[in-house]
Amino acid sequence: MILDIYKDALEYSAKDWKTLVLLGVICLFSFLLLPAFLITGYNYRVINTAVHGIINGRDPLPGFDDVIDMFVDGVKVVIVQIGYLLVPFIVFIIFAVIASNVSGAASSAIMVIGCILTFVLLIAACLMSQMGLCHMAYNEGSFSKAFAIKEIKEVIDEIGWFNCIATYLGLIIITLVISLVVTALIYGIFTVFGISSAVLGANPSGIFILGVIINSLVTMFIVGPYLSIFNARSIGLLYTMQI
Amino acid sequence: MASITDCVVEGLKYPFNDIKKLLGFGVLFALISALSTYMGMKSFDIFRSAVHIVESSNSTLSHVPFSQLPTGDIYLVAGLGILIFIISLLIYGYQYNIVKFSIEKKEDLPGFSDVLGMFINGIKYFLVIAAYNIIPALILVGGVTLAGDSSVLIVIALISALLFIIANLILIMALNNMVAYDSIKKAFDLREITDNISNLGWGKYVGIILFTIIIFMIITVAVNFVLSFLTVGFAAVISNQAVVISFVIAIIEGLFVDSYGALFFNRVYGSVYRQSIND
Repeated sequence: MILDIYKDALEYSAKDWKTLVLLGVICLFSFLLLPAFLITGYNYRVINTAVHGIINGRDPLPGFDDVIDMFVDGVKVVIVQIGYLLVPFIVFIIFAVIASNVSGAASSAIMVIGCILTFVLLIAACLMSQMGLCHMAYNEGSFSKAFAIKEIKEVIDEIGWFNCIATYLGLIIITLVISLVVTALIYGIFTVFGISSAVLGANPSGIFILGVIINSLVTMFIVGPYLSIFNARSIGLLYTMQI
Repeated sequence: MASITDCVVEGLKYPFNDIKKLLGFGVLFALISALSTYMGMKSFDIFRSAVHIVESSNSTLSHVPFSQLPTGDIYLVAGLGILIFIISLLIYGYQYNIVKFSIEKKEDLPGFSDVLGMFINGIKYFLVIAAYNIIPALILVGGVTLAGDSSVLIVIALISALLFIIANLILIMALNNMVAYDSIKKAFDLREITDNISNLGWGKYVGIILFTIIIFMIITVAVNFVLSFLTVGFAAVISNQAVVISFVIAIIEGLFVDSYGALFFNRVYGSVYRQSIND
């Protein structure tokens, strides 16, 4: 089942290279702040298509029409994520305050417990925020549904906690592997170029710089957008796995 | 029933329905920001000469005779203040019309033909805002003068801040209520106002206001970011002209950002009212 999700998501994200390049261009301008929200908004659209679709369904990639809509959705996504991440942050602050008011060994013990707790909560918050986004998308973008912890917990129970965590772990691994392999490939090619030009007596530094530039271009315009669509699609499909 | 998102999206798109009127509204804001920049410069001049007189004559500021100050500048500043106030009344009047159009579900932007009506509506709008803010303001000012430098000051500041927030939350619905019935009495009909809000749900009401503020904050931060790039760019080209640049930036901001924001907020708040009476 999980493998089906990955297969579908991998194929889905590769459907249209123009979309990837367009996302890359938006990403390039995201230092202007507004386009950054367009990217999260686009991911939300992908999730939205996924939660209303089925695995191996023939959903098209969402379009870029209605930019304002996309922007508002993006802001919603960011608010939901911040809302979930606030929990571990506040817990950490509370523990830090307590620890700073206690002296001796108790202080460091409290801090260690606090750090462990924060870490666990951080992971839980990441998982819950993704599921919360899916739940929000499923319920026509209603804000309160993104924080309806009880309903989201029921959804996760139905999917199975093991399935969820395994899917997330798989996502992380696949993301890392793809980006590493692409980088390694490009650098490998350019190392060969560089060495051969050095053998021929030319200065290879220009070729290495070209390699770095091409690598960052490929990462930004192809691999990055591809992986972000892949992740969004997978999480959306995971949500549909509830029976 | 439309969701929060639909309202906000509609509000964001609304100003684009008639760019000319958006810019016309923006001219008012641009005027205000240009005038207040100028007023700030002039009052700084007055302040500087007052300090100069005080320092040279070894007296306190309250003993400086009025005739020694640059009277022309003072009259200019006072005149500018009145002018700014009149223009802001026009802006309030236009906002009144925006809310009206929103409640009546009209797609186009209100026009500028009826300046007198705009002015009168602006006075109403201003009076309601002042009335709602006067209690927390009095508490703040009274508390600060009475409490002086003690720790009570923090408590008073907190209380008045809380009151400011509550007053301004209710104020939005009060303004809507006033516009809908076109009577200033309705702005103080607290029972109807709170009924309207609880119709919609307090959570949703506060949520939609916070959401609009967050959205607009993001937009202004982004625009200011771009504008600050422009400022640095201009400053590099024409050096020693900081005042000119700040004028230009203020005018650009007033022309596009402030007017857009005012249209957006009032449109959304009008549709909030429409929803609160619908169900």
